[in-house]
Amino acid sequence: MKKWFSSAVVAGMALLVFAGCGGGDEKTNEAGGGAVDVEVWLTPQWKGVMDAAEDGADYDSFFKEAAKRYKEENPDVNINVQVIPGEQRSDKLSVAIQTKTLPDIFFDSSFALSEYAHMGVLTPLDDIIDDETKSDIPASIWENVQINDQTYFYPFGHNPGTLAYNADMFKAAGLEEYIAGEHEIATWNVADFEKILTALKEHNDKVSPFGLYAKNNQGDTWNLTYMRMFGNKFFDEEGNIIVNEDNGVQALSYINDLRKKGLTTSGPESLTSNDVNAMFQNQQTAVNFTNAVLFSGIQKDMEDGKVNKFDMRLANIPSETDPLSFTYVTSSVVFNTGDDAKMQAAKDFVKFYSTDPELVKASKNTLPVRESVSKELAGELPYLEAYNKNAPYIINFSNNTPGYAELRNAFFPELQAVFTDAKTPKEGLDNFTEQGNRIIENNKKKSVIESGK
Amino acid sequence: MKLIKKIKSMEPYDLITNIIVFLLALLSLFPIIWLITNSFKTSADIYKMPPDILPKSLYLGNFKELFNNQPALRWGFNSFFVSFITTALSVVLSSAAAYAFAKLNFKGKKVLFALFIASLMVPKETFIVPLFKIVVAFDWVDTYQSLIIPNLAMCFGVFMLKSFFESIPDSLRESAKLDGASEWTIFWKLMLPIAKPGIGALFILNFVTFWNDYLWQLLMARSKDMNTLTVGVAGLMQEINPNIGLRVAGAAVAALPMVVIFIVFQKYFTKGIAAGAVKE
Repeated sequence: MKKWFSSAVVAGMALLVFAGCGGGDEKTNEAGGGAVDVEVWLTPQWKGVMDAAEDGADYDSFFKEAAKRYKEENPDVNINVQVIPGEQRSDKLSVAIQTKTLPDIFFDSSFALSEYAHMGVLTPLDDIIDDETKSDIPASIWENVQINDQTYFYPFGHNPGTLAYNADMFKAAGLEEYIAGEHEIATWNVADFEKILTALKEHNDKVSPFGLYAKNNQGDTWNLTYMRMFGNKFFDEEGNIIVNEDNGVQALSYINDLRKKGLTTSGPESLTSNDVNAMFQNQQTAVNFTNAVLFSGIQKDMEDGKVNKFDMRLANIPSETDPLSFTYVTSSVVFNTGDDAKMQAAKDFVKFYSTDPELVKASKNTLPVRESVSKELAGELPYLEAYNKNAPYIINFSNNTPGYAELRNAFFPELQAVFTDAKTPKEGLDNFTEQGNRIIENNKKKSVIESGK
Repeated sequence: MKLIKKIKSMEPYDLITNIIVFLLALLSLFPIIWLITNSFKTSADIYKMPPDILPKSLYLGNFKELFNNQPALRWGFNSFFVSFITTALSVVLSSAAAYAFAKLNFKGKKVLFALFIASLMVPKETFIVPLFKIVVAFDWVDTYQSLIIPNLAMCFGVFMLKSFFESIPDSLRESAKLDGASEWTIFWKLMLPIAKPGIGALFILNFVTFWNDYLWQLLMARSKDMNTLTVGVAGLMQEINPNIGLRVAGAAVAALPMVVIFIVFQKYFTKGIAAGAVKE
């Protein structure tokens, strides 16, 4: 072993020295040539520049193409694109903040990045938003990307969250009257919803009528939205949580009763959203959470034969009041790196790809936030009209509150306690409200925006 | 036939024990079998209840997605290169340090060793930021050095190998000295070969540790070509719609080198784990 081992070590050292200068992209000497390097990070959003069917389509294709086009007009700006795993977003950014190695631009859902605005590491983007853009994007979207009237997230596309249902199962259970058109979003009230789930259960007790989950904070936007089913606003005008009011408790009691009646997946406290999503695809649940990207992904998997075909349609989250609608706004942020030249170049690049008439069409991979793009692409997006009908009802689910990530982690353990009968819905929501308001208060103190530091 | 004869000649107690051990061995293989069979299923099929132990049809889409359009082979090479070189270098450094602590007498030896042991209790996450800053200062981000060099100081290896060197009689070293051997010759030609089982065991343990050093690799690799397999595969998942089939296929590919390393070093591993525990 000795010879083999020493040879391996020597070879390794030699390779290491050899490889030392290699690896990674070629770095530009900023000081020397006056060039500016702009680092773009994104989590996987869509493949290809416009479409996943393009040759070599990848998650960075759009930004590489945008960079290429931008560089034609701005030869002194070098744009490097890096795709990072969404699950490690906070690890990567946390180290980058502490070591002052932040990227210049991050492209992701606005709610996932809102805490960074409160930390003071994002720069407002109002100076690059022109009047045309302001009027082209609906107010409900702007509400999701602004904090205290300042825009920190430049909206690009959005991804509405709804429910999906298996219309074949509905038909088999005699529920035709609750099935909406192929490209429509059904709206049911809470009484209808229970009636639907009961009929589904009675027709086939091997299928769990409704996919409920609470194992972690994955997909918790739906669980948080269910708390609004009876008209609860979740946050009051001051931004405090009020979900333990009677209508909030009524909502959780309603969901919990569905569980007790066997109308949901059993053991939701130990199921993740991925679990129930897979159960829905395997036709083991009839009604499930979904969003525009997830929905079209399942449709594509059906076409590709990865999932057995069934008649899948969309529904709003049942409500006693208006349709409950929320959306994830895919947007760009610019980090406050302290380097004016880089920040200016980053802002300019964000504006370039967010307003370029051709590039903005890539927002069809989610849904366009711009009405002009929606009109132009209406023929390609059969569900667009239905989603647009919901636009007036879109809520700002996170309220862009400081400490939203912590709030999410405080919510699912209370749901688990309710779903295991360890707490009543009132106890669970009281506890969450108390904890949540403490989290908000603490984070408001730390927030650069809220404290006006 | 030989097996049947052997079984027939067994005492009932031995037979039962062997059957239990055989079943447990099969059970321990199950995760590997499950990983491999699931890599040939669609995401929906992986979650199917009740599950299919074997895929109904051999679905290759996960591997196609992994290797088409993505430098997955490069990622695999990076993972192997980084893990192997880091392991090899850290084993050399650990064995040299362990030998010094076990056989040489020098001032402050006990304090220094106590410091080494104490450092085992500090999780990497606590010093990842200063370590990152050092790497940035050296301008090593996105290079192989950044993935290898910061991991070379592995105190666990020193701790583990010290007991191996201590179990080797001092008389061997003394007689070699009388024959005129230098300290280096004694270490390299005499002591290291005797400590082979320990080195083999450490090699496997370190290789697995470095192969799975996800957070550090994630922080260091900036360009696509510098990703390791685990980081590269994670970057192919949409957070909102994770493709579990692709993840399983990536894990299956990533597991292969570890299985190979274990097979190559297993005789040392089993010997090594036990041998160091006994002192002459």
